[in-house]
Amino acid sequence: MKFQIDDLPIVFPYDRIYPEQYAYMCDLKRTLDATGHCVLEMPSGTGKTVSLLSLIVSYQQFYPTKRKLIYCSRTVPEIEKALAELKRLMEYRVSCAETEEQKVKEQSFYGIGLTSRKNLCIHPEVSKEKKGVVVDARCRDLTNASVCERGRQNPGSVELCEWHENLGVREPGNLIPPGVYTLADVLQYGRDNTVCPYFLVRRMMPFVDVVIYSFHYLLDPKVAEQVSKELSKDAIVVFDEAHNIDNVCIESLSIDLTRPMLDSAARSVGRLGDKIEEIKKTDASKLQDEYAKLVEGLQEAADNEDAFMSNPVLPEDLLKEAIPGNIRKAEHFIAFLKRFVEYLKTRMRVLHVVAETPLSFLQHLKDITYIERRPLRFCAERLQSLVRTLELSRLDEFSSLQKVATFATLVATYEKGFLLILEPFETDVATVPNPIFHFTCLDPSIAIKPVFERFSSVVITSGTISPLDMYPKMLQFTPVVQESYPMTLTRNSFLPLVITRGSDQVAISSRFEVRNDPAVVRNFGSILVEYSKIVPDGIVAFFPSYLYMESIVAAWNDMGILNEVWKHKLIFVETPDANETSIALENYRRACDNGRGAVLLSVARGKVSEGIDFDHNYGRAVIMFGLLIDSRRVPYQYTESRILKARLEYLRDAYRIRESEFLGFDAMRNAAQCVGRVLRGKTDWGLMVFADKRFARADKRAKLPRWINQYITETASNLSTDMAITLSKLFMRTISQNPNENQTGISLWTIEDIEKAQAQQKAQQVLEVEQKKDDTMDEDDEYGDGGFDDEMLAELDLDV
Amino acid sequence: MPSTSTATICTAKASYKKLPGLLELTSTHLQWTQDGKKAPSVKVPLVEAASLFCSKEGAAQVRLKLGLVSDDAGHNFTFTSPQPASLTEREKFKAELTNIISRNRSGVATPAPGTRPPRTPGVPGTPVPRPAPSLSRAASTSRAPSVGSDSRGPGTPVGDPTHDFRLRKKVLMSTPELAQLHRELVMTGQISENEFWEGREHLLLAQAAAESQKRGKPGQLVDPRPQTVDGEVKIVITPQLVHDIFEEYPVVAKAYTDNVPNKLSEAEFWKRYFQSKLFNAHRASIRSSAAQHVVKDDPIFDKYLEKEDDELQPRKLRDEGVDMFIDLAATAVDHGETGNERDITMQAGKQRAVLPLIRKFNEHSGRLLDTTLGEQPAKRRKIDSGNNDLYAQLDLEDLHGDEVSPGILLDMQDRRRYFEGRSMDTSQRAQIDVGAAVQEAKDNVNGWESRLSQLKIDRKAGDAALLSMTQNVAARIEVTKRKNDIPDGLFRQMTTCQTAANEFLRQFWLAIYPSPIEYQTASSLNPAQKAAKAAKMAGYLEKTHEKVAALVRAASQEGFDPSRVQVAMKPILDGVDKALTFWRTRAATARPPGR
Repeated sequence: MKFQIDDLPIVFPYDRIYPEQYAYMCDLKRTLDATGHCVLEMPSGTGKTVSLLSLIVSYQQFYPTKRKLIYCSRTVPEIEKALAELKRLMEYRVSCAETEEQKVKEQSFYGIGLTSRKNLCIHPEVSKEKKGVVVDARCRDLTNASVCERGRQNPGSVELCEWHENLGVREPGNLIPPGVYTLADVLQYGRDNTVCPYFLVRRMMPFVDVVIYSFHYLLDPKVAEQVSKELSKDAIVVFDEAHNIDNVCIESLSIDLTRPMLDSAARSVGRLGDKIEEIKKTDASKLQDEYAKLVEGLQEAADNEDAFMSNPVLPEDLLKEAIPGNIRKAEHFIAFLKRFVEYLKTRMRVLHVVAETPLSFLQHLKDITYIERRPLRFCAERLQSLVRTLELSRLDEFSSLQKVATFATLVATYEKGFLLILEPFETDVATVPNPIFHFTCLDPSIAIKPVFERFSSVVITSGTISPLDMYPKMLQFTPVVQESYPMTLTRNSFLPLVITRGSDQVAISSRFEVRNDPAVVRNFGSILVEYSKIVPDGIVAFFPSYLYMESIVAAWNDMGILNEVWKHKLIFVETPDANETSIALENYRRACDNGRGAVLLSVARGKVSEGIDFDHNYGRAVIMFGLLIDSRRVPYQYTESRILKARLEYLRDAYRIRESEFLGFDAMRNAAQCVGRVLRGKTDWGLMVFADKRFARADKRAKLPRWINQYITETASNLSTDMAITLSKLFMRTISQNPNENQTGISLWTIEDIEKAQAQQKAQQVLEVEQKKDDTMDEDDEYGDGGFDDEMLAELDLDV
Repeated sequence: MPSTSTATICTAKASYKKLPGLLELTSTHLQWTQDGKKAPSVKVPLVEAASLFCSKEGAAQVRLKLGLVSDDAGHNFTFTSPQPASLTEREKFKAELTNIISRNRSGVATPAPGTRPPRTPGVPGTPVPRPAPSLSRAASTSRAPSVGSDSRGPGTPVGDPTHDFRLRKKVLMSTPELAQLHRELVMTGQISENEFWEGREHLLLAQAAAESQKRGKPGQLVDPRPQTVDGEVKIVITPQLVHDIFEEYPVVAKAYTDNVPNKLSEAEFWKRYFQSKLFNAHRASIRSSAAQHVVKDDPIFDKYLEKEDDELQPRKLRDEGVDMFIDLAATAVDHGETGNERDITMQAGKQRAVLPLIRKFNEHSGRLLDTTLGEQPAKRRKIDSGNNDLYAQLDLEDLHGDEVSPGILLDMQDRRRYFEGRSMDTSQRAQIDVGAAVQEAKDNVNGWESRLSQLKIDRKAGDAALLSMTQNVAARIEVTKRKNDIPDGLFRQMTTCQTAANEFLRQFWLAIYPSPIEYQTASSLNPAQKAAKAAKMAGYLEKTHEKVAALVRAASQEGFDPSRVQVAMKPILDGVDKALTFWRTRAATARPPGR
């Protein structure tokens, strides 16, 4: 259907629209018009992606500026879904274009998705490699500039990639006919035309209207430098499923070093040394040239496509100056690296936990090895230059050294918001040391800052992003719109239940003091057994951690609980291997389609919980066993994750976010994310079972998104297993009836309903404007400097 | 065996229900004939065989128990030959039956045509000897075979479920009311068997459908657990268990074929298997790994031992593409590793001992699906489905507009008259002068206050109203009080009369109206037959009045108020009268053109 928001004509690929979708689109448009940022929370399964794309594409096609859309999602399945959604939208737009001219315009719309070489490679040998780094390295060996040059001058002398070569023949910007391509489509196109899908997408990026890729391609400076540098400033950036965006930000600037890595790095340094000696004899001029260039401070204008590694620090923190003299010479740099690796190895021998700031680390480093901060800062850049000069192949073997160099650059660049933690033992009870040197970023706003500064409109959206004000606080930005939409339903299509005790009245909880108590384990088990008896098709169960899931699966098996479940449903379990889990997931879906029914046991925040939907028969019930809050504690012993602790302290000191507040928020956003995956559309239904005593607490529940929270009744918030089963049965019986009442007008809008709403809005606006004329405008400090006013801080302390 | 010409595979002397006799296994049936009788009194089609149990070796009696698909209790045979002979005989039966059972389970129909399950149509034209219906339920051995073949009209097609006697019987057994009616009408010969079932085909079809629904394999893992029998810890092996173990762990089947009977006897094989590391590796428990060092080395079985599948990556990787929408591996390699290691609770696979167990669950579930759905075609989505499948997963179905349903056209007789009536109505209504009507209404309302105050209710009328209400209530109480005081015998007679008349009515109308198309089997009657039948039914119906009159008389003889019987039977009499009137008018209208 077509309608207007203000002067913007919208094409929406359905006959009806949910009121929340309409409201969402209005707010989105407001953000784009104001060229500001926004935080929007829309209930899961109400067609967030389609509304977003529908509005933005309408916006792009209507205004002559044609702002590019950069759409970021979390996982490859979600990227693929967004691409398919876009493809369908464009097909719809073409089909309802009114004039021929318009039709051509719609048809010339480009949309593509980018992922790694591993996922896009169709080279018969390279693509068989299991590991991403190996694929990257082998691909570079076949496609980097110097190899290509040699191969073209002297065909047959070196092996080249046919698919990549074919791409070079084509005219840039016209490598693929216009249209929207899913990842599968691009792969197929590559196979059909013998061109490389990966480089096709990379080279098309400046010319397309929509590009869809994962968060890391924009947030991780190592990747963003390569792929996202040239995107224009007026682009619209969308972070979908952004509830974990703070973690992605932190991850992109954090790094771990282990002892095997250091050993491997030391070996690589040795190999580099050998190589230099060799080159000195055969082709000394190469090294001379490099030295000369570095003296002049020339930044090599390398082709981004085959960069071995790029600088791990954010663009604005890059030093625009020449590489210091003591590491300019290749052999000096090798000696420098050797010393640094040795130093790190010595540090690893310490048998007690060390936590220090980057500054104190640098001081100690200087005292012991005389390594200065400045050369350390150039470590990554210098290594890149050296690798290019030596024309090394199979770079995956140098990945540990690359990590060390990254570590060096990061530690020398950042002071505030980072911490170094050395943990000699995996757990407190372990006796064999397995040291890990963590360099950890504590402040998510650092990595995302360049994005907010560079792009005029950044949209942060998800189904579960409550409490909304947490994100602007953590990420340090000022949204122009910040909204959460309730779910309008004519009948409750989902039933949230909080089970606090078993039928034997023993309280259940994954609190680690009691989580291995047989009574609790059995009560958790009986919840699963009872639900597998009454719920049709699929049930998804989430555990707070892998360790807990693995121990409880074993315990259930030995207690005979799983035997009961086998009687009613098949059982699938998430495993450490992603591919294996995908196959289990596929079989799970087959079992649900077939009517046999199945139970999927998986982990919240694990692989399955992100990006996989369990709508309709794939998930009629989702059970959360326990609250996720205790991830910082290992069963059997009290070990708090030091990284988490440091992060909590930082949040408290820097942004006045209390530890318990953040932990509660973190637990609830993940719980909400898991249960939200069972719904798509308003006719879909599902049960959401929260099995933990602590969910009964009102302060915990308050952190759930509004659209879930509004349907938790007082009675359903403190149930025993048998009561919950009774309520669930009743719910299923009711929901299975044909809905008699017409949803249209309430939870479904036709075009008339939209017009009605618009008329109402207009009337109200007129009224407001008149009122405003009377009032003096006194809202100038509302979105002033982005800081917190006293009122906000006062509220925080009250929120106990 | 009069009708079966099938070959006998093995025979043995065996007693059944303590009667001596001869047990025979033919290619289609397992049958037992009592000594001195000709026809077998137990005859089980092999397709019915579901499970097999044997007595222990060395037990006083050599027994064999066969469980059936329809009946777990099954049949118990005791081999009566002297000990060593009986044992070999039993082993022979056991071996044969185990094969048959495993064949039955795997769903492959046995090739012999006669062994097909009774529901599937037989070869047309050839009168296939039908296997005796599964009479195992409670059927006494003497009666059962005789019921099998009678009462079915000759020439009825075998495969038609609506004429399957066995189905009819089952339906009757499950619904006592229908059985009652059947007894009264069919057994007394008032209407024929086929007539009775006409119009009730859906019951038979439903029954046939319910029976043909194959029960899937149970989901539980094969996990033989030791039981304590007479103070000893034992694992009881049944042929069924053996079959399950072979299916679940092909490596055991391989070991079995390699070693039995050359190197090990069967008993020894199992004994050593259950003590071996191999068995412990197969057990679905992580405790077994703890017990592993207690278990002895076994040179034979340890050969078959595979390395425990407890690495983070599975040993066997199915290398096939999965649907991009659920491809988790793609996300893992979408970008390089970043960030700090996750804390130890969130590292998958830290409890290595559980991984084989988890893999076993996934494989077992996958295998169960494969047995029912067949192996999955690899890369399904990439080949056949286009975008439609892709879009279907994204679609929000309730956002589509309502599809206009065509509706069912009302077929009205003499439509013109209907509309005429309507239009006349409206024309009459139009004649009312609105102004005058309003005026009149207004006049009526004028001065209502004064009139209301003048209103006096007549005392007599009020009393009368109250009285009538009281009487009404009293009458109702009376009725509920004496609800069940009809004498038992009379009541039963009344019910019988009622249901019989109902059935006649049903048959009558069935003969009058065209039969539903979907049941038009060969037995459907042609118009002449129908007319004859309707006439017959009308004849029966005419007698209903007499019957009711008789009931009324009986009631008065028993000192019961006859009028109440009349009241009770009134509705059915009305129905009968209606039918009869219809019949007579039809006969009257049909006759003139004939003459």
